[in-house]
Amino acid sequence: MVTANETMRINLGPQHPSTHGVLRLELELDGERIVSCRPVIGYLHTGIEKSMEARNWLHAIAMTDRLDYLNPLGNNLAYALAVEALFGCEIPERAVVARVLLAELTRINSHLVWVGTNAMDLGALSVFFYAFRERELLLDLFEEMSGARMMTSFIRPGGLQDDFPDGWMQRCARVLDALPPRIDEYEALLTENPLFRERTIGVGKLAADDALALGVSGPLLRASGVEHDLRKARPYCGYERFQFRVCTATAGDCYARYQVRIAELRESLSLCQQALAAMPGGPVRTSDRKVMPPLRAEFQHSMEALIHHFKHYTEGLRPPAGEAYVPVESPRGELGFYVKSDGSGRPVRVHERAPSFANLQALPSMAKGMLIADLVAIISTVDPVLGEVDR
Amino acid sequence: MSTKGAAAATDGGKSGSAGWMLSRLADWSRENSLWPATFGLACCAIEMMSTAAGRFDIARFGSELFRASPRQADLMIVSGRVALKMAPVLKEIYDQMPEPKWVIAMGDCAACGGIFNNYAIVQGVDKIVPVDMYVPGCPPRPEALIDGIIKLQERIARRHRR
Amino acid sequence: MTAPDFVAGVPGAVHTVGRDGIDTVRVEPASWTELLRAAQAGGYTRFLDLTAVDEPQRAARFEVIATLHAPAAQRWLRLCASTAERLPSAVAIWPAANWYEREVYDLFGVRFDGHPDLTRILLPDDYAGHPLRRDHPLGDEPVDFTVTRETDAPW
Repeated sequence: MVTANETMRINLGPQHPSTHGVLRLELELDGERIVSCRPVIGYLHTGIEKSMEARNWLHAIAMTDRLDYLNPLGNNLAYALAVEALFGCEIPERAVVARVLLAELTRINSHLVWVGTNAMDLGALSVFFYAFRERELLLDLFEEMSGARMMTSFIRPGGLQDDFPDGWMQRCARVLDALPPRIDEYEALLTENPLFRERTIGVGKLAADDALALGVSGPLLRASGVEHDLRKARPYCGYERFQFRVCTATAGDCYARYQVRIAELRESLSLCQQALAAMPGGPVRTSDRKVMPPLRAEFQHSMEALIHHFKHYTEGLRPPAGEAYVPVESPRGELGFYVKSDGSGRPVRVHERAPSFANLQALPSMAKGMLIADLVAIISTVDPVLGEVDR
Repeated sequence: MSTKGAAAATDGGKSGSAGWMLSRLADWSRENSLWPATFGLACCAIEMMSTAAGRFDIARFGSELFRASPRQADLMIVSGRVALKMAPVLKEIYDQMPEPKWVIAMGDCAACGGIFNNYAIVQGVDKIVPVDMYVPGCPPRPEALIDGIIKLQERIARRHRR
Repeated sequence: MTAPDFVAGVPGAVHTVGRDGIDTVRVEPASWTELLRAAQAGGYTRFLDLTAVDEPQRAARFEVIATLHAPAAQRWLRLCASTAERLPSAVAIWPAANWYEREVYDLFGVRFDGHPDLTRILLPDDYAGHPLRRDHPLGDEPVDFTVTRETDAPW
């Protein structure tokens, strides 16, 4: 029996519709108010880092897709950049611009899932169906390009897996043209909606100093007023040549995070259109044959191409000994792979710096003093993906 | 999965008898209103969400609602890899579901451990709970999951026929 | 590339630049806390990551690697210390180090002295062993391929 001065301890998750995956929270409650919140993670620990050490550098690419499963091409990109840093190889222009296009398409995809699930958590189920309708357009593009809707493994060390199919870029442009009115539709339903505002304004405030001290990154940090985006701070893949702004908000609450992500959706659309317009011709794979073999189409007239392909897929990659960490801006924040090679075909160590791991550490401070219903909104706007938290 | 009531009704009942028709009616209603428990674990859960969304629409096959509480669900779609820490939780959720209940192992990880053959992942959820349908894929397409659900529905329909 | 200014003040600190262009500073475990504080004072105020690499052929087998970021200068920094068993905790300097140190403890077995709650974070509490150690087996199950299965059948 709980007396007036006692608090109640209850458990939220790991099986719960609102925890965005298998996250468990041990809550200490005073009525409906949260006194303290202790996240317990590990319910999706997959041992990916150990598996990567047991396999080779090529097999690890397929495993990177499955870490942050809402950002598979972004994970591929971060891994590819780290391995390319070890090799020190040149990536052709077409592949560089294509990587920007694919990374931003994936960001749009991830933010669409976020808008849908965030609205669903707060009760606006229609937005979930609308967001997934748009997502299907993008997944069709990914499927046409690579064969897989989600786990494409398309960005690899050395370039891309293949060139875009004929007509793919025109279809991509048509999808991008179709998206802005749909985003207007979500905003029309949510931004001025008094119920949505009531549940998100002033809820789950994260001060900028706390965010910086906890290693928080991504939209969670930018919504607290800190203008930090890796695409501007440490440009990769030629982002310095593209026009885009860093989306920030000042309030640091759930509504601010919503505003930041919607603004980022629009900026990503613009980046995709710029990438399509700037796409040069040329190869999509590096000419350094130690990193990548030529495309399959070359087998028809080159025996050497066939031999390179055979050696690559049987012996695997052998990056020179050394360590590298190249961070990229994922939809959740600073994502990077720390890779260490000893010159053999197997990694000595591959470690993912997962943005959601650090972002989740900020949850207890955001949840203190809030209601349980607010906690649902807060978890949603932190946007954790447990696949990368637990690895 | 057997239910005591339906088994008693068909005990010795011939095709066409009242007992048989009652159990057939019960099976028909179960197969056409399979309500999944929300058990999305990892990447397959996102494809499960796509299956529930407008384009593939699992609702037209009867799975109108995903029940958060296992006590109100009759289908557990294990979508994603089952980690060591999650295994006892999964068993507990399964035990909380009332009979009759079915399990679909969605995806390679739930079926056999998938690409993660290591210390951390249970090599197939059938090591913990009995599985009625395996849907392979990494992740399986939404159409594949719907195929699995329809095959499960046919299996439920055939339960009392030989 | 020249070393950041604070490196000179830390005894035994060795500076290199990685293939990724990131400054890398290595120290002995005894100077770990001093190095972290000096880095923080030198502008590297954001704690990004802490991990470890196990190289069992060395006596100090665990190389613990911290990644920091200086927001003002937009520079990244990698700090490393090799230890056989333990290292002082960084939680007092950065609260962000909390979960990262628990993870390294969980997966490698490195103890962080002064950590407020050094318990397992990713694996079950009753799990035995530290899986990311190189001498810990992968734990894989043999895959039953029909072509390699041994049977009494004549074909």
